Amino acid sequence: MSATAIDPRTLPGETGMVEPRRLAWLPFSPWHLLLFPMALVMLVPLVWMVVTSLETLNQTRHFPPILWPGAFQWSNYPAALRSAPFGRWFWNTTVVTCVVVASNLLLCSLAAYAFARMEFLGKKVVYFLLLATLMVPLQVILIPTFLIVKQLGLVNHLGALIVPNLANVFGIFMLTQFFRTLPIELEEAARIDGAGRLKIFFTIVVPLSTAALATLAVIQFMWTWNDFLWPLVTIFNEQAYTLQLGLQSFQGSHTTEWNLLMAGNVMSMIPMLVLFVVAQRWFVRGIATQGLKG
Amino acid sequence: MANVAFDHVHKVYPGPTVAVEDLTLDVGDGEFLILVGPSGCGKSTALRMVAGLEKISSGTVCVDGRPINDVPPKDRDIAMVFQNYALYPHMTVERNLAFGLRQRKTPRAEIARRVGEVSATLGLEELMKRRPGQLSGGQRQRVAMGRALVREPKAFLLDEPLSNLDAKLRVQMRAELKKLHHRLGVTTIYVTHDQVEAMTLGERIAVMSAGRLQQIGVPQDVYDRPANVFVAGFIGSPPMNLFQGSAAEGTVRVGSFAFARTGVRDGPVTVGVRPEAFRPAADDADGRPRIEALIDVVEPLGDEVLVHGTVDARAAQSGAEEEDAMLLADTGTRAAVTVRLDPGMRPEPGERMPLVAEPSAIHLFDVERGVRLS
Amino acid sequence: MLFALFPIGWGFVLSFQKASLLNPVRPFVGTENYRKLFTDPFVKKAVTNTLIYTALFVPSSLILALGVASALNRRIRFIRFYRLAVFVPVVASTIATGIMFLWLLDKDFGLANWALGKVGLGPFGFFSSPSQALPSLVVMTVWGWLGFDTIVYLAALQGVPAELLEAAAIDGAGRWSTFRNVTLPLLGPASLLLIVWSTISALQLFDEVYFVTKGGPLHATDVVVYRIFIMAFQSGLPLAGRGAALAYLLFVAIFVLTLGQFWMGNRVVHYQA
Repeated sequence: MSATAIDPRTLPGETGMVEPRRLAWLPFSPWHLLLFPMALVMLVPLVWMVVTSLETLNQTRHFPPILWPGAFQWSNYPAALRSAPFGRWFWNTTVVTCVVVASNLLLCSLAAYAFARMEFLGKKVVYFLLLATLMVPLQVILIPTFLIVKQLGLVNHLGALIVPNLANVFGIFMLTQFFRTLPIELEEAARIDGAGRLKIFFTIVVPLSTAALATLAVIQFMWTWNDFLWPLVTIFNEQAYTLQLGLQSFQGSHTTEWNLLMAGNVMSMIPMLVLFVVAQRWFVRGIATQGLKG
Repeated sequence: MANVAFDHVHKVYPGPTVAVEDLTLDVGDGEFLILVGPSGCGKSTALRMVAGLEKISSGTVCVDGRPINDVPPKDRDIAMVFQNYALYPHMTVERNLAFGLRQRKTPRAEIARRVGEVSATLGLEELMKRRPGQLSGGQRQRVAMGRALVREPKAFLLDEPLSNLDAKLRVQMRAELKKLHHRLGVTTIYVTHDQVEAMTLGERIAVMSAGRLQQIGVPQDVYDRPANVFVAGFIGSPPMNLFQGSAAEGTVRVGSFAFARTGVRDGPVTVGVRPEAFRPAADDADGRPRIEALIDVVEPLGDEVLVHGTVDARAAQSGAEEEDAMLLADTGTRAAVTVRLDPGMRPEPGERMPLVAEPSAIHLFDVERGVRLS
Repeated sequence: MLFALFPIGWGFVLSFQKASLLNPVRPFVGTENYRKLFTDPFVKKAVTNTLIYTALFVPSSLILALGVASALNRRIRFIRFYRLAVFVPVVASTIATGIMFLWLLDKDFGLANWALGKVGLGPFGFFSSPSQALPSLVVMTVWGWLGFDTIVYLAALQGVPAELLEAAAIDGAGRWSTFRNVTLPLLGPASLLLIVWSTISALQLFDEVYFVTKGGPLHATDVVVYRIFIMAFQSGLPLAGRGAALAYLLFVAIFVLTLGQFWMGNRVVHYQA
């Protein structure tokens, strides 16, 4: 068949020409010479963070910087844990994030399903309004939302972080687009077989949407976990800080204890990094499809 | 204008998968050659090697006597029309046509002249300012052709250019292509899986299967004297009927049907008879060997009648069958047979129709390697 | 039955995302807040800084991302590792990134000054120097977001049909010419999306400023959202109204800018047939 058999050794954009020259004088592609340093540059801050987290305070005060500490100061980690309620912060953030992600998955998908498949009075208007809210930057809603939360008595409480974020408009849109791409015949067949709307939703649509849902979950997780401004505005009680807020105050109180700071930083990054490694496919997919849909 | 020659060309993918095996083939200067075969037979790969889009694993491809193995596509002075047209979507038709010439720094006046000529030839004048997205399938196909024509290359390479068009348009374009070739006389290599296209368009056709060249020749020759069982089953629609037979002392038997043939070694043999080679034997009392067909389906086509039935014989495979069709082919101990009759004949399903075939129209093939025997 | 669920679902959304946009001014003082904004020197500085930052951030992220994506668009060994390496920074929170860069760009003990010293440059003040703070922020945020832009470009690059590139090769276009005439135009939609997205997020820069520089030194990195925050939450209530006013203006600016970008973009960008 035409156009399907592309030599895997040459790639779109490369003619059949490049190969022999390349193989002649290097055992590997010359691209590695470019990509490796580039990857290094991207990773340097992270690597340096880890290295610093294992140094003693005196070592950090050394200039030129010590690139490789002889002995690893693992004790920095427990020290950091002791000097700030990291555990509490970690717990807070986990609770908030899990609840928000779960709620989003449920509510966004329900709403998206309604938009994608159902007709109801004022549907277009509501859809448009939601679209409009996406355009409004956080800062505009910041103050009014804060006031509302204050009214609800949730200031300084984790609820302040959860309630406004129960259903993210972005999630609704992403899922609506996705649901629209599912073949409607499947649902029609189920209807003929006698299934009710809700049943169809849970037994047919949801299983088919695991990829999109996973992507939403992962992106929402990242947003919520890394969120800073909103917690900053609503939470003042150190015990109720999220990890980001906590890190910030930790840095404030240990400004020049870089080794402890780095240890704290490493610890708070680990969950996200782990999630990333495990779920990279979903991250990448989410962003890539976003871009393509314009 | 040039000839294109393949000399023991191989294409192997890491795997190892052999896409093209030992292809040796000459396309004459100004000739219209068609590479035809089922999907995956290597015809597109062979074409792309001429274009420079695939590396040649071994062997040489020469254009105009010059080996071009290491020459990049842009320096090969060939033009290609892709199956999906590959028009630049963000450029107008005019810019699409002119692109190749501009890349080669052709002077503006020359570009204008050529583009003007080609658009007149292909009827593209009104479309010049449009973008591919605004054109119909047929129009896009013409622009793709135009882009190739404008380059005035040594050879044209066409990769299934008509397969994305609807049936009617396809027939029309076939005629246009043929006319164009008569006018311009540029060496052309055309790839298709449609054997009707191959037969109608090609000056010569080259049948390929599983990476190997099976037969090359003028269409009628390939039809009348297929070199092997594969070509016999691939060329011709409906396909040739194939049966298992046996030869013994100058006589070949197929079921209850027997005829004389000398020069054939004793043993099993594959017997092929084209649908039109069978004639109803009703009025024949001259003792020609007859076989009886039990009719299943009658298809009146207007200018002919196709009759599908079974005969008392065992079927043989050519290797060119569609996968799924094989399920329906062998109806137990009887072989399927298709016969072409004149319009006006109206046999009924369930009838038994005696048939004769002219012995000279019967093809014999070696069972082991499928090669033609005569 | 289902109708009962949906209102709950987007009811929450609506109430929080489309919350009342009235300026909570007490007492109600009309347009005084807006007028005061125009005379406030801090606000002016913030707007200037924001614009400079955006002008630096957007082009550099896009160009770098395109380059990196092109480099990543090939099937060689370890390519997945390289792609991941580029993307990891995106996962780091703004605070985590801030901490890393505070340390990296520390003027006394930072790795950056050491490395630059090796090639004869510096030492630099980075975040502690009024003239270098903003560019340093640019570097930090570009680092943080590069992965995102790169993925978008990478996906777009992979969406360029191989046939088009082959046709260009046969038409005589060399590598660069193919890139300029075929690939780049086809990346139009992706580029537009990234420009709009990057501009919006650049204009809304906050976390890094609050955490790393606190708007300093000497207001060198004071940006609009930071101003809003200071006015609304740290200067006592009288200025809260002004904060809201500024936020509103920001919204209008973003809205207009986005529309403008889309409008211009649609004239220039051609979506594939």
